[in-house]
Amino acid sequence: MAKSEAVLVIGAGVAGIKASLDMAEAGHSVYLCERKPSAGGTLVQMDKWFPDNHCSMCQILPTLNRDRSSQNCLRRGLVHPNVELLLNAEVTELQGEAGDFRVTVSTRSTGVDAQLCTGCGLCTEVCPVEVESQFDEGLGRKKAIDTSNPYVTPRQYAIDWEKCTRCGECVSKCPTQAINLEQKESTRQLQVGAIIVSTGFEEFDARLATQYGYRRYPNVITSIELERILSPGGPSEGELVRSSDGRVPASIAFLQCIGSRDSRRDYCSSACCMFAVKEATLIKKAWPQTDVHIFFMDLRAFGKGYHRYYERARDELGVNFTRCRVPVVKEDPQTHNLVLTVASEDGALVRRQFEMVVLSVGQTPAPQFREFCQVLGVETSRWGFCQTQPFSTIETSRKGIYVCGSAAGPKDIADTIVEAGAAAGGASKWLSSPAARKAEKEEVEEQVGEEEPRTAVFLCGCGGEIGLALDLEQLADNIGKLPSVTYVEQIPYLCYAETLETIKKRVKEHKVNRLLLGACAYINKPVLDKLAAQAGIDPELIKVVNLREDITWVHRDQPDKALAKAKSLLAMALEDVRQQDYPPASLTSVTPSALVIGGGIAGMMTALSVAQHEIEVHLVERSPELGGNLKEVFSTLESGDTQPLLRDAIEQVSNNSHIHLHLESEVTAVSGYAGNFSVSIKEKDESLNTVEVGAIIVATGGDEYHTTEYQYGQNSKVITQHELEKTLSAGELDPGGLSSVVMIQCVGSREKDRPYCSRVCCSQAVKNALKLKEANPEIEVNVLYRDMMSYGFKEEYYTMAREKGVRFIRYEPDRKPEVKADKEQLTVELVEPVVGGTLVLEPDLVVLSTGVTPGENRALADILTVPLDEDGFFQEAEEKFRPVDFLREGIYVCGLAHSPRGVEESIAQARAAARGAVSLLTSEQLEAGRIISETVQRQCRKCEMCIAVCPYDARARDEETNEIVVREALCQGCGACVVACPSGAAKIRGFRDRQVFSLIDAAF
Amino acid sequence: MAEENEFEPVIVGFFCNWCTATAADLAGTLRMQYPANIRPIRTMCSGSVDPVYILRALLGGADGVIVGGCPPGDCHYVSGNYKARRRMAILKTMLDTLGLENDRVWIRWISAAEGPKFARTMNEVTESIKKLGPNTLGKDWSI
Amino acid sequence: MERYATIPIGNQGALGAIRQFLASLLEKKLVDALLVPLELPTGDNVVPTIVSSPEQVQAANPLAPVMPVNAARLVSRITMVSSSPDRLGVVLRPCELRALVELVKLKQASLDKLLLIGIDCHGTYSVADYGKFVGESSSPTEDFLKRVRESKGDPLLRKACQMCEYPVPMCADLTLGLLGANLDKEILLVAGTSEGERVIQELGLEEAKAAERESAVSGLVAERSKKREELLKQTREEVKGRDKMMATLATCINCHNCKTACPLCYCKECFFDSPVFEFEAEKYLGWAKRKGALRMPNDTLLFHLTRLNHMVASCVGCGLCTEACPNDIPVSDIFRLVGYEVQKLFDYVPGRSLEEELPLTTFKEEELPDIGV
Repeated sequence: MAKSEAVLVIGAGVAGIKASLDMAEAGHSVYLCERKPSAGGTLVQMDKWFPDNHCSMCQILPTLNRDRSSQNCLRRGLVHPNVELLLNAEVTELQGEAGDFRVTVSTRSTGVDAQLCTGCGLCTEVCPVEVESQFDEGLGRKKAIDTSNPYVTPRQYAIDWEKCTRCGECVSKCPTQAINLEQKESTRQLQVGAIIVSTGFEEFDARLATQYGYRRYPNVITSIELERILSPGGPSEGELVRSSDGRVPASIAFLQCIGSRDSRRDYCSSACCMFAVKEATLIKKAWPQTDVHIFFMDLRAFGKGYHRYYERARDELGVNFTRCRVPVVKEDPQTHNLVLTVASEDGALVRRQFEMVVLSVGQTPAPQFREFCQVLGVETSRWGFCQTQPFSTIETSRKGIYVCGSAAGPKDIADTIVEAGAAAGGASKWLSSPAARKAEKEEVEEQVGEEEPRTAVFLCGCGGEIGLALDLEQLADNIGKLPSVTYVEQIPYLCYAETLETIKKRVKEHKVNRLLLGACAYINKPVLDKLAAQAGIDPELIKVVNLREDITWVHRDQPDKALAKAKSLLAMALEDVRQQDYPPASLTSVTPSALVIGGGIAGMMTALSVAQHEIEVHLVERSPELGGNLKEVFSTLESGDTQPLLRDAIEQVSNNSHIHLHLESEVTAVSGYAGNFSVSIKEKDESLNTVEVGAIIVATGGDEYHTTEYQYGQNSKVITQHELEKTLSAGELDPGGLSSVVMIQCVGSREKDRPYCSRVCCSQAVKNALKLKEANPEIEVNVLYRDMMSYGFKEEYYTMAREKGVRFIRYEPDRKPEVKADKEQLTVELVEPVVGGTLVLEPDLVVLSTGVTPGENRALADILTVPLDEDGFFQEAEEKFRPVDFLREGIYVCGLAHSPRGVEESIAQARAAARGAVSLLTSEQLEAGRIISETVQRQCRKCEMCIAVCPYDARARDEETNEIVVREALCQGCGACVVACPSGAAKIRGFRDRQVFSLIDAAF
Repeated sequence: MAEENEFEPVIVGFFCNWCTATAADLAGTLRMQYPANIRPIRTMCSGSVDPVYILRALLGGADGVIVGGCPPGDCHYVSGNYKARRRMAILKTMLDTLGLENDRVWIRWISAAEGPKFARTMNEVTESIKKLGPNTLGKDWSI
Repeated sequence: MERYATIPIGNQGALGAIRQFLASLLEKKLVDALLVPLELPTGDNVVPTIVSSPEQVQAANPLAPVMPVNAARLVSRITMVSSSPDRLGVVLRPCELRALVELVKLKQASLDKLLLIGIDCHGTYSVADYGKFVGESSSPTEDFLKRVRESKGDPLLRKACQMCEYPVPMCADLTLGLLGANLDKEILLVAGTSEGERVIQELGLEEAKAAERESAVSGLVAERSKKREELLKQTREEVKGRDKMMATLATCINCHNCKTACPLCYCKECFFDSPVFEFEAEKYLGWAKRKGALRMPNDTLLFHLTRLNHMVASCVGCGLCTEACPNDIPVSDIFRLVGYEVQKLFDYVPGRSLEEELPLTTFKEEELPDIGV
């Protein structure tokens, strides 16, 4: 079956990058195919994300074996030796089957030969054709030959074939003859075992919603355009300006659900509410005078930490939220202000002027996505997204092809990242082991370096580009006089393959053991690693000074000062490389077994996903049986009956020879670190059992909130949704005997003590309401809600429920419904907020949506030394980019232990957590980075300041020797320990005090 | 054009690998012009800049020192910049209390996307240090 | 809540009463040994001593206004390798206790099996001044207490003590209270912890009220704080700015005695004595060439500024660095001045509590808005 260890990932946005990195980290070869000329997708257009206004994009990079991938801002590009990036490329044909796919990928030429292009940018300078920058959403301009955005390194120049006039200016200007005006197409056959579709979404084309005047009125923009405007790297350098007059708008209206939740797209785009809240937050923080209004239908802040973020925007920053769908936008042609008909505070409709209108455009499938899915032979759903399978949001209709992120339906980054991990886990089961590939390492010539430093300096002229503002002759002269410099040469193009040969030759001739390159920022890690391997010099002993980006290009009119700076920078780098040490990267062995804590659906799915790789799993469950909360949930809106899934999972877990069940057991102690944990388990018979594992997954679940509100516990006709579901399912409740049911949402959720959304209750209410209506269409069902959280495709069911006559009536949290029991009759009174009148309902049954609370997590959190969040759920390493990991490496979290979520979402998270663990457990050894800290024991006073400041659990007191040791595989090289240590006992390789002192000394 | 004998300060910059150094590269690719007085040193994190390095530069001859790190909350190493902020606060309070050229020590948060801010900040710091004149502390033989 | 008892003085004098109290701790096995200043046979100094016999403790003199070494350093030495096997009572001045608390946070001392006995501090003299004072007095301790009672600023008090606003021990199990006690009749014994209460109970001492104590303490603190403002201002005038700082440090010979005397400078080997600061000859000549001349030993200012950076957040202002300087550089004045500002920045009082985190091991997300924009 599995003939290939390689995987194809289609779409290089955040989902594709994450899935690729996960697969690459597990040792697989990854082809990452992207239709556009650069990677990054929507991700790189943004600077800050909810719910913390941080960037944190670099958190996506692997932390174990970290030197394998680029240790740089992801905006500059993704680098991993196991990932081959295919840009401008599309899949045109697919043959074969899971385990053995043959894919035809067609690549359009960019017109610029990447091997020859030095990124000098002269072509762009001379190009006479201006085009809209897609990266800046058309707000900025670029040329017909240009890069797609300014960050990418190496800069990928490309011709916009549609706009190019073939005038040939660039061709004649290009110093390296890299440009060819003839567009070519080439195809390539790939053999892969599995495919991951991560093509993302297309933002809704706001021109289609003509009533809002987008592109007709200059001050109506989309939320993504606003994102670019707010970006410091954007067209206005981060200044909030409106395009009609360049002024900071005094008032802004956000209109939600543009292209979502209407008859043409009866789904919720899931992320736009939070996106708008974020943009409003950023605006209010920087321009507090600007009046910001968000006009919405339901404020869907259902993710972890989202409700808090929304409240902060509303209560602390003064963002105004008004519940109304704005029908139309008109412009005052004099002022270019926009006139909206909106609901006022008392509910009456009034006309209001705003100086800017932002359309929160939803997510739609990428163009030609249906055709693309046909090529792959996978089904699409009603709205044109990729169809997924019951309980599995990552499986397509075809075996071996997985999907993640918005390609399968609208979602935000946090959920996308989870799915990407899960998809990587799914795909891996169709691949052969990458072990064989791992073995064939590039042959490296014997490395030198031990002797007296002998440095060769190569100064790149970049075909005259660097010489423009820098006297390279003088520079070469000057550097040649410095100690330890053995050889100096000026080279026209350092990045060329021939040059690498030259350097290799010179190294031999002059017995050189260190290299100093005066070049540019494009001499990146892969180039350096290649050079190092060829020249037989440790990569740590090669230093690069960016003569181009740090000097020539930025000091054009200051040649004298530029020369002085260049001399200093070279002298500094020379000192740096002279004192550089280069001990080999250390290896840490890994115990290939895992501990899963919790035997609910998340824990079982994790255990099964890990065991599938023939890894031993200890599954510890506190109660006498498996199943957890799913025993109480009988169906889900989107996937149907849950019980077969549960039975199947229990059976599989019980029969799996790799899974060792510990029922009625508890974890009592954990020591060690990633790859090598020692765990004490108190077994059913009270005996203590110690197991050694390499990874730990927390899947301890959560609890149902126990309420005493609304007469619950006093009146038998007031029950919870779970009780309703259970009695319905068991046939104990006859809907035929009911005439009226009231459901009350947000019981115990989104309140002062629990300021979070429980995420599942709205779907549960819709589901049970539909069930009641199905059994007895005559029942009057009233759902009293605050915001319906029917995000994504759940929206359709919400619509369906309304069509079937379920009434949804909103209430305000400060005027909650009142449940009264008068003799036999229950009454529910509430103030209807729109009309304002009091409504009295007389139901036979009141059903409370009581939501999710965290389990008793504190004790386990302490045992694992991992944190809990403000609400008592486990706190992951980073909300968006590391949603299933802890900062303490080797420990993962999934399911309700992490936050409230649905069954499908818990399963996806379980698979993502398992993927993380499997990646760690299948690397036989963890390779430490080259820049890591160490302890000089002679100077160490064991004050443990270094341990206190280390965020990675990489420093510890060794129990036997009592010494402070560095767990090298975990150390990320941040240097916090070095600064914390007053004694100078904590050092960091590559930045030793002596080295830094010398470097500073050489600066003047 | 600058006058022949105008004071040209030397300013040592400690720029974190993840944000400010990337912003410097971006300023470069965007060809934004700024004074050539800066001597950048790439560090892993603003939290790895030991105050002794700053003092060493200041007492060794630098006319100014600027530390560039990720904006608060954005540290690749989770909290390195928060720790750096405390250390810088102590260092600057000390220099200020003792009247020792506190104004020559700068710290700025410049994210990877902020090429323009990088160039702007380099302009600002150079102008400001020029106004202060040469750092006599670093030139004094008796220090 | 603090609880009080009294130790009657009778006709043995305050010192006698304290000795009696200490002896009873040993006799009743409430402690197995005591670390307490003992008078040297010559009588002109006291030294911290581990005493296990009730007889020897009769030479103890925690009232002597002299502190040759900050005993926190010694508690660190005793408990650093392993915590005390037996119950050890340590009699410490407030600044010693505060330094000890800082050292515990820095994992340089263990409080296991320690009974922390603090003593109100009216300040101390330099070792030389104390020697002189003893030579001129027939009953120096009584004379010192008389001076205190007359409360006319004692000119012999070290500057550090004159401006010390922490005359009352913090974090002690038991405090020998002089402030607010009628020293003709009794000494107060203040229990700060349940352990302290237990000791009072075991000793069968009667509970008492300490009506005068609060006002006596706040009066002294106010007086000291006022003095602190005055002296800090004076220091600022003396050292602030490049020229004054260089003049102040001109005689520094890099002997590092200040760091040796400092109770908090806990490094095994000072960073400045480490190989990092061993340079090749051409470096020295290079620096000389760059500046035109190079003072030797060099890096004196760098040393003091770096030591400030490392330690000043925890500096308790005991002033022993100044005492240790062979060339009378007012190191402590500088530390006190900077420490005052830095500690204020983080609302941190060194030694106030074991729970407060060291300023450099923690942070707040929203703070210091002026540092970095």
